[in-house]
Parts: sequence; structure tokens; C-alpha cells
Amino acid sequence: MLLHQQPTKRRNLRLNTISLPTETLFHAILMLFSLFCIVPFLFVVIISFTSEDSIRQIGYAFVPQSWSVQAYQYVFKLGDVLWRSYFNSFYITIIGTALSVLMTLLYAYPLFRKDFRQRHFFNFLSFFTMIFGGGLVPTYIICKNVLGLSENYAALIVPMLFSPFNVIIMRTFLQTSVPTELIEAATIDGSGEYNTLLKVVLPIVKPGVATIALLNALAYWNEWFLALLYIRQNTEVIPLQYLLMKMQRNADFIAKNSHLLGADAANVAVNLPSQSLKMALVVLIVVPIACAYPFFQRFVVAGLTIGSVKG
Amino acid sequence: MSVINPRRPAVAASLMGSQRKKALLLCSMAAPGALWLLLLRYLPMFGIVLAFKDYRAYKPNTFWNNILQSEWVGFKNFAFLFKSPDTGVMIRNTLLYNLTFIILGLVIAVAFAIMLSELTRRFAAKTYQTLMFFPYFLSWVVASYFLLAFLDQTSGMIPNLQRLSGQTAIDWYQSPEYWPGILIGANLWKNLGYSTVLYLAAITGIDRTQYEAAAVDGATKWQQIRHVTLPNLRTMIIILFILNVGKIFNADFGLFYNVPLNSGSLYSTTQVIDTYVYRAYMNSGSVGMSSAAGLLQNAVGFVCILATNTIVRRVDPESSLF
Amino acid sequence: MKKFLALLLTLALMAGVIPFAAAEASNLEPVELTIMFHGSNVTDDTAVLAKVNEYLKDKINATLKVIWGTWGDFDETSTMSLNAGDPIDMYFTCSWSQDEYNAYAKKGMWVRLDDPNNNLIEKYAKDLWATLPEVLTQGATIQGSDGLGVYAVPGYKDIATQNRWDVNVTLLEKYGYTLDDVKNANYFTFGDILKTVKAGEGDSFYPLLVEGMVLERMATNSIIVAGDSGSTNLLSYYLNPTDVSAPGAYGNVLLNKFTTDEYKAFVEKTREYYQAGYIDPGLAVADTANDLRKNKQLTGQYLIGTQSYSLGYELQASQERNLHVEMVPCTPAYVDTTSSQGAMVAISTASANPERAMMFLNLLNTDPYLMTLLNYGVEGIHYTLTADGLVQFTDKRADYQPWTNGMGNVTILPATVDQGKGFWDSFKAYYGEAKKIPIIGFTFDPSNVQVEQSALVNVAAEYALALDTGAVDPAEKLPEFLQKLNDAGMQAYLEEANAQLTAFLAAK
Repeated sequence: MLLHQQPTKRRNLRLNTISLPTETLFHAILMLFSLFCIVPFLFVVIISFTSEDSIRQIGYAFVPQSWSVQAYQYVFKLGDVLWRSYFNSFYITIIGTALSVLMTLLYAYPLFRKDFRQRHFFNFLSFFTMIFGGGLVPTYIICKNVLGLSENYAALIVPMLFSPFNVIIMRTFLQTSVPTELIEAATIDGSGEYNTLLKVVLPIVKPGVATIALLNALAYWNEWFLALLYIRQNTEVIPLQYLLMKMQRNADFIAKNSHLLGADAANVAVNLPSQSLKMALVVLIVVPIACAYPFFQRFVVAGLTIGSVKG
Repeated sequence: MSVINPRRPAVAASLMGSQRKKALLLCSMAAPGALWLLLLRYLPMFGIVLAFKDYRAYKPNTFWNNILQSEWVGFKNFAFLFKSPDTGVMIRNTLLYNLTFIILGLVIAVAFAIMLSELTRRFAAKTYQTLMFFPYFLSWVVASYFLLAFLDQTSGMIPNLQRLSGQTAIDWYQSPEYWPGILIGANLWKNLGYSTVLYLAAITGIDRTQYEAAAVDGATKWQQIRHVTLPNLRTMIIILFILNVGKIFNADFGLFYNVPLNSGSLYSTTQVIDTYVYRAYMNSGSVGMSSAAGLLQNAVGFVCILATNTIVRRVDPESSLF
Repeated sequence: MKKFLALLLTLALMAGVIPFAAAEASNLEPVELTIMFHGSNVTDDTAVLAKVNEYLKDKINATLKVIWGTWGDFDETSTMSLNAGDPIDMYFTCSWSQDEYNAYAKKGMWVRLDDPNNNLIEKYAKDLWATLPEVLTQGATIQGSDGLGVYAVPGYKDIATQNRWDVNVTLLEKYGYTLDDVKNANYFTFGDILKTVKAGEGDSFYPLLVEGMVLERMATNSIIVAGDSGSTNLLSYYLNPTDVSAPGAYGNVLLNKFTTDEYKAFVEKTREYYQAGYIDPGLAVADTANDLRKNKQLTGQYLIGTQSYSLGYELQASQERNLHVEMVPCTPAYVDTTSSQGAMVAISTASANPERAMMFLNLLNTDPYLMTLLNYGVEGIHYTLTADGLVQFTDKRADYQPWTNGMGNVTILPATVDQGKGFWDSFKAYYGEAKKIPIIGFTFDPSNVQVEQSALVNVAAEYALALDTGAVDPAEKLPEFLQKLNDAGMQAYLEEANAQLTAFLAAK
């Protein structure tokens, strides 16, 4: 990450690095915390390979009584439904992330420009909605009846396109990494606003953009509540997270209301998907997004600011 | 920051024209976002009145007609939040937990971000980053199962260990005193990866020449961190702090409801505003009451943001929210 | 001459009227009806709906669209749709879901079906109304936005409640006991049997597999009061254990169930059982309790459990668990408001075609063809008929599994192979025998005490389950609990409830 970086062989040759004992300490701390973070996921993987019998006998455990691939077999038996929802999740995430990053950047850039007289207005316009909102029912009505967001992909993409939080973060990235002299230099050189944004600013603020893109991608990938609200009939567009959440919520409801439903609850409970199945779905949901993470990481590298503003 | 020289009218005129053109172009950039905000956020804002009305259906049953005709009840819908023996507890819990989360989260995330940026083995750094993000992918429900595997009275690891070593096993899900520690740990586990990434990206954007200049001046690594890294991070830290303060009356529902497995005995240390409202709302289905709760949380958050922002504006105008 | 003309005139008129009557169905405009069900597990309904719409076109010139709400989503989506005024004609409703029958009738969401100005039942659903037992038609009559009347069509399913002891007879007999030993004992004397079995089976075996809330009711002979909070009940009505239609121990009064002597004795005994290791600690934690119960039942790791009963359940349980399971009654079966409002279908006031919706519901609840189609699927695809006329489900059933009891009059369905021939006769006999409790028809309206209810619910959720399963010490926690209830406004809540009950009984 430092400019004069050499291959890692002879670290002592490199200038301006931390001492070896310190680095070892850092590694220890970070490694410990990383383990703390990854172990629960390994636990989920173990449960997904645990036999239903073992779960019934001893509950969830790191070392089950017996293993089984039943959950995954069931998942693949789901066949079309599963692959369709997997596709939907990818589709929604990719399109949603691309569009929302674009919107966020386009909105944050004028906010960062101190010479933009209307920036306080737009800033407040965005910020105010972070504090006050109309609530679920009015938003639902507007989205469904006025904007036509119902039973289609748009319903799963549009409501999350813009986030005032991300705009503020983006603006902060711009503030801390882009010197105003650079903009002035570009303007004097005759560059138009869009051109400045794309050719001059964007390369510098790549880490920021990549970070926002990552956060947006995650948000879209994990989203299921929109599907609950707006997709009642058109099962073609349901994302994978919602499939999992449906199972989870069904089980929860039966659990809470079994004393009111009586024997009906017992009937239904027997037919609910097993715990190992739910964990298998969790694995299937987490793995793709975990793989996407390194993809975004590539862009979070030092920009090329030095040398561009001299003289 | 263009200065218009009045002695050069032609230039002045073209500069004025280009001013307008610039303003127009920049507005056009903000237009898509502004449109989205108007349609999806401002249009539904009329719904705030629901918190002050006793919403029910009238003839003919359309939403607009219902809202218009529903009886205005003032602050009655807010009463349920305050007239309970639990009110003090839930407000105290919400505020204390959030303050702890904000402060601890900030300090540790910045520390981790700096640590990661200083590692020389890049592959290790990237691996840690990826692994630290995993908790963010898992839902609280899944996390609660993991915790159960450790704390379950019958088959959990810790009670079994306690029994093996001769102590009496603590009944974790019936003992509220341990949960503040557990919940704080759980929150850090889930959110540290997220905040660290933000700070790390900000660090990456810092101009490298500043470090070189400091090194040339004879600064040690720690001094460089104090005098280059932290000042550059200042804005990001303050902004995130203000934003978090705005949510001081809101709690992460999944953390306080799912992780303690909704165990009643733990309420004294796990009941927060959001869980209280959910448990009350489940039975009444009152649109008015849940709107009221949300409005109150938002209003308090707004006041806190205004206060914090004003203080920040006095001290460090660059880093203020608005 | 005049007589002849009169006759001619009459004949002409009749000739005019008859074809008119016959053409009525085809005079109806085609209309689309939407209905939203609860608890469905349906992924493919094209085949079924195709047939249904074919049939409906003939009968009432309508097409049906179904929104298959699932267990987990129905509450949220139905209340959203109702509040937003979505164009859905009919909704499932009952006294225990979030779109609660009574509350929403008061809010003006349901059409009053027996409105004197436009009596839909009289006009379009006479047949349906005639088939329903009195207890259901009475139970559906409530105070709503348009006065005292019927605001939904009740579903004729199991209408009586009974809680029974779920006994693992296989295990019981292993230790030399018989079923009679359980029948002759009660909750407070189970101790010896539990002790023996626990000693024999080992430390990690918990013989008492109970659902805290249900156990409490069984041990104290109390029942839920309709209209009280659903998740944690605050009020109780005490039954007469021998004849449920006679007044109970406290008469026709509602009580704070937690202050009675019965409750105190119950929690003390339960604490004893818990400390002796008869009750699994996992049952005291709300989120894990149900999964744990299910797991233990399916692996036969229990001796006595609690079960809210419906006819024939022990056979099904025995089959599923590979054990001999018997259900031992605790009190006789009784009919109360909750069981009479267990599953209903209401017509929304936002509907554009309430008359056609009523016609549809009349058809659904009286026409076996339509009900079987919508509930079981298409013959030949989702099920086949055995020689006896019993229903045998095929693999395709997994794609189409609505919640049978949530649709309406299930007694007109053909019996399944599991239920056996003559099932519906024994069904009607069993439930016909069930007696009505003295306060049947009463539903508590908490709208004046909503603030108190919100607080009380949270207090009860904090203590009730832990006390009911013996996980905490009642000597310490029970007084604390009672004090907190009083602070939260229990007195006001109770007074309101009893005032309403007295008024109700006086008006009867």
C-alpha cells in the first residue's frame, strides 16, 4: 500500500514500515478476531452436513452424531425454483448495484463541490429523509399504486436505489481524497463537469466507489423484505434470501402460535423443512457474496494523486 | 472560487454564463437522486399523520378517504411507550447499549483499519479483511444458533465444561447479568468488519506524499499515524459518529430479540424500545401505535444529530454533516 | 271474458319470468374475485385454478385469483393490504391472527353480512348458513362497525377445544405402568411415575415435555379469554372440570390468572419437577421451545406431554413417531368463543363485488366438488380415489398443500385414507357433544385499555413462561411478577374485562 513497495522478501529494506514485533502483534490480534468471525460460518456449514437425526438427538453441535448430505440433496431436488431464485438474486444485485452506485456518485459529487450554490439544499433534501419517513403503509401504497412497483424486478430494485447514508459517505470520500485545486485545474483546462467527474475525479476516488459498491451489493443480496411486500403472485422474480426467510418465518410462526393452533400446528410442524436444510441454504447464500468480496477489494488500492497537483 | 474581474466585462459575462452552465450541469447530476427522493420518500411523508390518528376504514374504503375521516387523537398513540413499568429500563438499555456500541465500535474499527493498512504481507491483510466481513452476511437468527451451541443448558459447550470442572452450570438464558457483555461482543462481531472497511478505504485515499514528508522529517511510525493518518480520518470518523448518534434511540432488533432467543427472564438487560414495540404491537395490530413509536425514535434522533452537528460545526466546520 | 284475459295475462307473465330466472347466471357480468388464504404451502396452482375457473364461470360467472399467504407471511401482508386498501375481496380471518376478526370488524374492514339494509346471507348464502351449527353462527355474531351482526363466514372445522396429556405408552409400559395409572392421576400426582422413568432412563432424559402455557391451563382448569392478548394470556376463566357448561370454581368472573391459589400451587409443583430434572431447560426459552418439543416427540424422548387435541390425532402421532401414543383427556371438550372463531373468511369493505364474493363463499362451503378441488386438488393429478371413495394423495400433493382447515366447511370433503371411512360422522358426533361454556360468545374488546395491554404483555412475557416451566424460583419471582403486573395497570384491565362480561351476560 505504500508507494515504494517492494516484493515482500526483504521487508527490512523497505522504508517506513512498522517494526517486526509490532507487525507480529497486529497479525495475532487480527487473526484472532478473524477466527472469531469465521468460526460461526464453519458451524453453519457443519450443521448443513449434519443428519436430521443427530439434530433431534443432541441439537446443534460442532461434532454431530452422524453426517449426511440430505439437506443438499433436497436443495438440488428443488431444482428450477432454486436456480431461478439464484439467478434472480444475481440479476437484482448486479443491476441494482450498478444503478445505485451511479446515482450515489452523481448526487454526492455536486454536494462535495463547494462552488455549487445549491448544494445545501440538495444536502438537506437527502438528509432530512434519513430522519423522518412516512412509514411502511404509505410507502407501500405509493410504490404499488403510483409507481407500479408490484410483481416485477423493478419492485426489488428501485426502492433501494438511493441511500442518503451512502451519499454522505461518498461525499466524505470525495472530501478527503480529492483536492479542490484539481477541480479548478481541470476547469481551467476547459473540462466540462461530467468530464471532470469521469476522467479526473473517478480514478482518484476508486476506493470510495468500490466500497460503496460493495455495501450496496451486500444490501441487495441480503434483501428479502421487499419481496415479502411486493411479490405475492409472480414467483418468477423471487430472490434466494426470500426463499430462506420464508422457511424461517413459517417455522417461527408455528413455534409462537402452536398453543393456539393446536393439533394443526403439530401437523404443519412435521412438514416444515429441516434445520439442516435451512443451514444449507444459508451456505448457498453466503458463498457467492463472499466470493464477490475480493473482487471489490481489488479496487480499494491507493489512488494516483501524487504528482497531479504540482506547480 | 472564480473571481469575476469587473474591469473585463466580456470575460465577466462569459464567466457568469459559465457559472450558470456549471450550476445547471451540477443540478442535472443531482436530478436522478432528487427525483427518487421526491417520489419514494417525500410523497409518502403524509403518512406521518397516522401516528396522530385512530386509523380505521370508512365508507367508501379507500386509503385517502380513511385517512381524512379517521379521528385525530393527538398524542394518545404515544402513551403506550411511557405508561409502562418497563419504560425506564428499555430507554436506559437502548441508550447505554448504543453509546457503548458507538464508542467501542469507533475505536476498535479505526485501530483495525490502521493495523490492516500497515501490514506488509498484503495477502494476509486481504484475507483478514474478507474473513472479518463474514459475520455481516449471517443473520442474527443464525448467530443465535451458534451462541446456543455454546450456552445451551443441556448440550452447550460451556455448561458442560462447567459441570466437568465441578461447578454448577450457569443457566445462561435465565440470567440477565451476563447479557450486556454477550450482546456487546455480538454487536462488535457483526459490525466491525463493515466499519473497518469504511475507514480502510478512507486511509487508502490519503495522499502518500504526506507520509513521505513526515518520514523525511524524522517521524516514527506512531507519530506518523498520530499526525497524518488520524487527522485525515477525522472527517470520516466525525461523520460516522454523527450518523450513529442520529440512531441513538433505535436498536438492532435482531440482536436484542433473536440472540437472547426471546427469553423472558432476560428482559431487564435485553429489552430495548424496538423489542418492546414489537411485543406490544403483535397483539394490537395498531397502525397508529407503531407509527408513533417510529416517529418518536426519529424525532429524538433528529434532535441528537442537530445538537452534535452544531457542536461539530463550531469546532471543525469541514467535518460537519450540514 | 275477463277471467280468460286474466289467465292469459298470468300465463304471459309467467312465460316472461321463467326464462328470465334461468338467464340470471348469464346476466351476471364476468368478474374477478381475489381471496387470500393463510398457512398455504402452494407452489403450483395452475391446474387447480384452471378447473375452478371453468366451474365458476358456469355457476356464477366469475374467475378466482388466489393469494396463497404462508404461515410466516400472512399476518404482515394481510394487514398491509387491508390498511392500504388493496383490491382483495376476501381474507382469511380469525380470533388469533393479526387481522383479528373482532378488531377489524370494529375498524370497518369487514362487510357486515347480515346487514338489515343489504342482507347478503339472506340473499346469496342461505344454504351455507343452514349447514352451520348454531355455535358457529352465534360465535360469528359480534359488535362491529355496523352494529351487532355477522362479519365473516365461520369455517366448520373442529370447533371444540380440549387439552390432553400426550402419553408415550411404549415407554410407560416398559416401566410396568399402564395407561390407567396416568388416567387416575393428575398433574400433581404424576411425580412417582416421572421419578421412576427418569431414574431408569438417565440424566439427559426429561420425561415431562410440556408447552408452558398449555400446561398451566391444564393443571388449573383455566381457559383463554377471546380478545385477550394472544401471545401471553393475562385473563383466565376457570372451568368446572366435570361439566363445562356449569359455572366454574369462581363463577362467571374473569380473573388475573396469576394471582389465584391454583396458579401458585401449580408453579410450586412445576418448580419441584424442574429441579428434579423432569423438565428440559430448553422449554423455558421462547424461541427454542417448539423445535425442541418437536425433536423430542419425533425421537420418542419423552413420557408425558401436553397437546391441544383434535379428533384422531393420536393415530397420526403414533404413526409419525413410531410409538404407541395415547391422548388422555384432562377436562371434557368445550366450545368457547376462540374455538368458534378459529377460522373464518371475511369480505373486505374495499371489495368491488361483495355480492359475488358472497355467492362464491356460499358455493365453496356447500358444494363438495368445489371444496375438494380447491382443498385437495385435481383428481388424478393431486390425489386418487380408492375403491371406498377415500382420498389417497399423490406426489404432486407436495406442490399444492393449502391449509385444509383454513378454507371453510371441511366436513363436505371426502375422507382421506388416514381418516378412514365414516370419519365425518364421528367428527360431527364428537364435536356435537361438546358443551358450551357459560360465557360463550363473549369477546373482550381491549380498545380502552390498549396502553395497559401493551405494558402487561411485556411484563407477562418476561415472567410467565419461565414460571410455567419451573425455570425460576416462584418464591422470589412470583411476588415480583404480581407487583409488576399491578404497576402496569392490571387492575384497570381486569375491571374493564369484567365490566364488559357482566354487560354481555345481562344482555343474553
